[in-house]
Amino acid sequence: MSQGHSHGDGGADQGHKAAPMVEEISDSEVLEIAVRELAIEHGLFTAEDHRRFTEWTESVGPAAGSRLAAKAWIDPAFKARVMEDAVRACKEIGIDWAEPTGFGTPSDYMNLRVLEDTPTLHHVIVCTLCSCYPRPLLGMSPEWYRTTNYRRRLVRWPRQVLAEFGLVLPPEVEIRIEDSNQKCRFMVLPVRPEGTENWTEEQLAEIVTRDCMIGVALPRPGRTADVHPVHKARRPVQSSPHSGEATK
Amino acid sequence: MPQSKTPEKPQNTGSTRARFKVGDRVRVKDMPNLFYTRTQMYVRGIVGTIAALTYEDILPEDEAFNRDGRLEQYYIVRFRQKDLWPEYPFDNDTLQTESPERWLEPVSN
Repeated sequence: MSQGHSHGDGGADQGHKAAPMVEEISDSEVLEIAVRELAIEHGLFTAEDHRRFTEWTESVGPAAGSRLAAKAWIDPAFKARVMEDAVRACKEIGIDWAEPTGFGTPSDYMNLRVLEDTPTLHHVIVCTLCSCYPRPLLGMSPEWYRTTNYRRRLVRWPRQVLAEFGLVLPPEVEIRIEDSNQKCRFMVLPVRPEGTENWTEEQLAEIVTRDCMIGVALPRPGRTADVHPVHKARRPVQSSPHSGEATK
Repeated sequence: MPQSKTPEKPQNTGSTRARFKVGDRVRVKDMPNLFYTRTQMYVRGIVGTIAALTYEDILPEDEAFNRDGRLEQYYIVRFRQKDLWPEYPFDNDTLQTESPERWLEPVSN
């Protein structure tokens, strides 16, 4: 290597420390492992059940929610059924809230409400207490949704937080924050954008991304992914002692 | 996989026991926190409007400790952002959150 420095030689102090290979484990992670091992010992579930459930959790994405929204845009009768009883309507798109995994894992969360946006009303979802999220429909929540930064700021400064996502709404549009703190789960049904008049359900589903169903973005033709800007660190961790010197 | 012992809960059938109806004005009580609650501090003492009746369930305070509490009605309550945060600059914006009946008291005006 150019400066006589290489990672993994484990030895010389080169003026900086490599990032630790093993991250710290938090108290709640320790607690989770302890409770899990006790539950397995007592036969509440097996280690195999736990592995399958974990894999299911990690594999389920927001596609079901996108399908629900697209179908609701196209089919007014379906939309009416969604508004009447969203848990029941979910069965029509293959999602059973009573047993979301399909392998016998029951759910306590049987109260889904779909929040319909209008041109003058925009919903956005948060859970200030933890990270409540409609997982059978949208999968795991994004990392930012679980941060205290998003949770405490969204309820107080929603327009500023939405602007950070690139969504600026005029003051005439009512912003309605839904703080999901009990057993209801929520999903936003955005307004169907212009320019999608003759689209198929599949085309429409592509633009109803996860962020649109949380309420931090609006669907539009051509926007098929949730891309957040990545800014360069102003004080990046230096990868070589020489570049570190240069900034002093 | 064995089923968890989730107690049977009645479906939301517009219970006759519900004390409030949609449109009623309510204030969130400011009661002491006993070990666990899901009633946020920022809504305590604030007046809002019942937006929906959701379901009947036991209190989180009971459920967290596996106590068989009494079932009670839950509500979605709508607040004006201006009432929650005095300095809030936008008149139209609102916030909704859910609350069990025990945490709400009627407001007459």
